[in-house]
Amino acid sequence: MPHDDHGHGHGHNPPAPMVDEISDFEALEIAVRELAIAKGLFTAEDHRKFTEFAEHIGPTPAARMVAKAWLDPEYKKLCLTDAIKASLAVGVNWLNPTGFGTPSDYTDLRVLEDTPTLHHVVVCTLCSCYPRPILGFQPEWYRTPNYRRRLVRWPRQVIAEFGLVLPPEVEIRVEDSNQKCRFIVMPMRPKGTEGWTEDQLTEIVTRDCLIGVALPRPGVTTNLKMPVHRAAKPAHH
Amino acid sequence: MAAPKLEAPLDDLIAAGAKWTPVPLLEEIKDHGRAWEDLAAQYGVTNPDPPWKTSLDGMCEALAAGSCSSVAAVEKEWLEGASDRAHLPGAPALPLLERRWEEDELSATLYQDVPFPERQLLALAHSLIKRGLIDERGLAQKVQEVRERLSAT
Repeated sequence: MPHDDHGHGHGHNPPAPMVDEISDFEALEIAVRELAIAKGLFTAEDHRKFTEFAEHIGPTPAARMVAKAWLDPEYKKLCLTDAIKASLAVGVNWLNPTGFGTPSDYTDLRVLEDTPTLHHVVVCTLCSCYPRPILGFQPEWYRTPNYRRRLVRWPRQVIAEFGLVLPPEVEIRVEDSNQKCRFIVMPMRPKGTEGWTEDQLTEIVTRDCLIGVALPRPGVTTNLKMPVHRAAKPAHH
Repeated sequence: MAAPKLEAPLDDLIAAGAKWTPVPLLEEIKDHGRAWEDLAAQYGVTNPDPPWKTSLDGMCEALAAGSCSSVAAVEKEWLEGASDRAHLPGAPALPLLERRWEEDELSATLYQDVPFPERQLLALAHSLIKRGLIDERGLAQKVQEVRERLSAT
């Protein structure tokens, strides 16, 4: 056992770097929140619960769902016929995801199965509906009008911007999320993953794969950082 | 194959921007506040999101959650032109769709050069001020109070 790796006598790891500065944005977030609570727009308790929900969600349950389905044909059938029930196996109670209620009406979850001739990709043209309980928060680009408007018009070209170029014989189907129904994509299991464990497979099912702007590949476990383009035609509601 | 390009028609941008009056306090923060991406780079922090991001998300959820079961009905009435939404039973303080659409517009206009999620925060504050749910003077005082509290040694 190393005695003292860092020269300060305790053998501890050095502290992680931290921002030692108060930003105006940090002060603004706290100020808006405290005023909203003081004016009764929501309670401190509600805010705490929703924040805890925000802190514990992420893409891992959805990735695990796909990995399990790749390994278990019966579970795959369940995913495709009753995704809400299937989500219980990865620790998500879709019908009561927060345990205390949610402003969104999470009534349905569907898993979209890709085939050699069909590829799915998900969008929310209205705002930014997303299967948060099982996939976490949306990436910034998913929220932008640029992605939302262009994907439905030029899906093949837009997913190509993410580096996913599909042959013309593969049909691309865009699913539009809404308040009643959320989607995740179940891509095909890639070659080169024979004999892999569920944990190994889970690692390559990235958030982008589950939205449909990427395909899983051995060795790729991170998402593409996409530049965000401004809206070409700002909305006029 | 390159995606077809859409250029922003100047008139559209002006029309959207004209709907929004700059809020001096938020303009000050926009112009002089340091975004997380700058702070993280300076201090060598690798977390992609600022520590207040989940609290901001929690706030947006809480504002939309006036009455979970009736959100859909309330928003439907609003979309159909109900002018007195605030008095509809179960109306949330700031409905999700209104917030998101206003964020879209503000992100394309007043706050177009601000990174995310700072942009989301400015848009939320702007929407609340616009509705009179909080007032700019009170918010300015609160920001100052918070700054002093966080800086106290």
